[in-house]
Amino acid sequence: MAKILGIDLGTTFSAMAVIENGEPKIIENREGARTTPSVVALTKKGERLVGVLARRQQITNPQNTIFSTKRLIGRRFSDAQIQKDKKLLPYEIRESKDGGVEVKMGDKWHRPAEISAMILQKLKQDAEQKLGEKITDAVITCPAYFDDSQRKATKVAGEIAGFNVKRVINEPTAAALAYSLTKAKSRQIVVYDFGGGTFDISILDVSKETVKVIGTGGDTHLGGDDFDQKVMNWIISEYKKEQGIDLSKDQLALQRIKEAAEKAKIELSTTLETEINLPFVTSDSSGPKHLYLKLTRAQFENLVKEYIDKSIELVKKTLKETKLEPKDIEEVILVGGQTRTPAIQEAVKNFLGKEPNKSINPDEVVAIGAAIQAGIMGGEAKEVLLLDVTPLSLGIETLGGVNTILIPKNTTVPTSKKQIFSTATDNQPSVEIHVLQGERPMVADNKTLGRFMLDGIPPAPRGIPQIEVAFDIDTNGILNVSALDKATNKSQSIRIEASCEISKEEAEKMKKEAEAHTQEDKKKKELIEARNIADNLIYTSEKTLREAGDKIDQNTKKEVEGKVEELKKVKDGDNIEEIKSKTSDLSQVIQKAGAELYKTTQGAQKKEEPSSSAEASEDKKKEDKGKDAEEGKYHDKS
Amino acid sequence: MEKKKSGKSKIKEELEECQKIKEEYLANWKRERADFLNYKKGETERMEEFLKYVNVNLILKILPILDNIYIAEKKIPEELKNNQWIEGFLKIKNQFEDFLKERGIEEIKSLGKKFDPNFHEAVETAETKGKESGIIVDEIKKGYKIKDKVLRPARVRVSK
Repeated sequence: MAKILGIDLGTTFSAMAVIENGEPKIIENREGARTTPSVVALTKKGERLVGVLARRQQITNPQNTIFSTKRLIGRRFSDAQIQKDKKLLPYEIRESKDGGVEVKMGDKWHRPAEISAMILQKLKQDAEQKLGEKITDAVITCPAYFDDSQRKATKVAGEIAGFNVKRVINEPTAAALAYSLTKAKSRQIVVYDFGGGTFDISILDVSKETVKVIGTGGDTHLGGDDFDQKVMNWIISEYKKEQGIDLSKDQLALQRIKEAAEKAKIELSTTLETEINLPFVTSDSSGPKHLYLKLTRAQFENLVKEYIDKSIELVKKTLKETKLEPKDIEEVILVGGQTRTPAIQEAVKNFLGKEPNKSINPDEVVAIGAAIQAGIMGGEAKEVLLLDVTPLSLGIETLGGVNTILIPKNTTVPTSKKQIFSTATDNQPSVEIHVLQGERPMVADNKTLGRFMLDGIPPAPRGIPQIEVAFDIDTNGILNVSALDKATNKSQSIRIEASCEISKEEAEKMKKEAEAHTQEDKKKKELIEARNIADNLIYTSEKTLREAGDKIDQNTKKEVEGKVEELKKVKDGDNIEEIKSKTSDLSQVIQKAGAELYKTTQGAQKKEEPSSSAEASEDKKKEDKGKDAEEGKYHDKS
Repeated sequence: MEKKKSGKSKIKEELEECQKIKEEYLANWKRERADFLNYKKGETERMEEFLKYVNVNLILKILPILDNIYIAEKKIPEELKNNQWIEGFLKIKNQFEDFLKERGIEEIKSLGKKFDPNFHEAVETAETKGKESGIIVDEIKKGYKIKDKVLRPARVRVSK
């Protein structure tokens, strides 16, 4: 079946996606980019350029480079918005015979829909080239506030481009589709869309099978570009303060500052401080001058605070108009590149009291949603078998209270996993399987799902018995955990219903906690690992002395005993460094003893009992392995 | 007798039904397997693409450092041009250029050429006497390409 293209026809950028193998996927354009600038130009030679090429030549050809047609499409020339925008646009516009708008490009006057059609046509061609098949059907998105005439014009644009436009859907609805929020019984959703040049608020009311837009608001001239401008101004004024030089008239310096400002803004979404470093930015009679500034996230947030506050005010206003309060809102979706700014995410969260949905790339979420709508219409999305994932990791308790994860979070079910474990002490008759759910490395911080005993393990030195633990989750999310003693084939198992029954909020909370405690947890785990290694080493050392003590030089033996005692004293303390250094001390002397032992058995040239040395070296191997913590061991609780 | 027959045919019907379901399940299972294998193939391709992309991305992040070296070079005063210290520093620039060349990354020629948005990005226009319009009169930032793919267009000033 032919694919239907989902298109986000944006004011500054457009994007497209299709459903492939049941999954929505963004399609790159010919230039290899995931978004295409919504710009069209006619060169002096009469060549038409669309997208990034049009933008690159914009400055040489401002009258014939048309952008932001979305601000004009389907509007009347007398519209106040048009009269306002007219002053900001470098190209000519006029009233058409029927009272609409016309744009001049080259010698010809075009309807805005025709210009949008040129963008859509490029997307169509690029998609066909990428997918290797002809595409005729499309779903196109438009802002929720578009009236009938604007929607019609958008549809016409698609038709001029050669599409059979299956539907024009609202951008916020597409975003809600992308997050699968449209299937609920009834709920209100706020879509907060902070793009490059426009800011849109939409409030959706989702009830069975229908999505209604119950409120819209925003500012058509507020966007991420304002943020960049603020940072630029800050750089210029700081430099003036520092060096007394005004860079705002220096075109070359401005170019570099503009780039640096954008880079700083992006970096501050992930770091707390960034450097703005422009060597040789200018020069005066004393020689070259450099620009070097540090901008912290807090400073940046201060700079753009007015815009963020303004956006929240607009959310407040829109809510009021729809007679809703923040507590009535059940879901929040972030759209638009600027929502990557942590301060925006915080502000939205604080005001609406909800963790916003932001896991999908905010530049692509609308196109993804359009593709999903297209998939539903093409019947492709319906047939997809929906498989659940485990929201949290599942594991068992191993030696030292460590949570050893067998099935990591976000694994698609059904799934199963087996791992071999062993005992922690000599002659341990039973093991307890303690099934855990959660991300934290220490048992105590996770949720217990169940526990059971496997007994009847024949007496054996620790580390020898092989206990195979198997986790199996079926399609219904039911978890089966079994333990099998390989020597006796004895097994025990437990069935845990509803292992996935953790609410989204709870799962989110647990994940957050895990992140917050990463450092501290890591330390705790390290300490326990160090203790386990120390324990192991003490055990092997004592065993070696016991079994082969008479073959070792008495001085070495004493030394080993001394080091064992020293390590025993510190191993239960909290000082990791001390445990590690004492462990390494003991490791050195026991290696010496091992070497001696090897020499004496070899020197004697007797075949008797090679087992003791073999065992010692085997123990040595085990001890190395212990470091990987792969060979987890159980508590002997019996 | 009649009863028995209908019982038999009922079992037969059920068996046929079961057979049908079995076939369907098997087919779906095979389909799922095939989907998975195809996905794996696709994933490998995507991975290769991704690796290429990561490399390109890394190069794009290194380029601004080289840009600054060029800016610094431009600003070297006349009297220092033959200074041994400066020459040494410029050797570092050569290392940088070799690094790019070894990876098949070529500089885009722009100065004196006709402006072409496929390779150049205009940041300014300049009044120039006696020159035809659309000619690159100044290169503000070098552009680079790898084979035929533009990594970054050259930023240029164009005659009006």
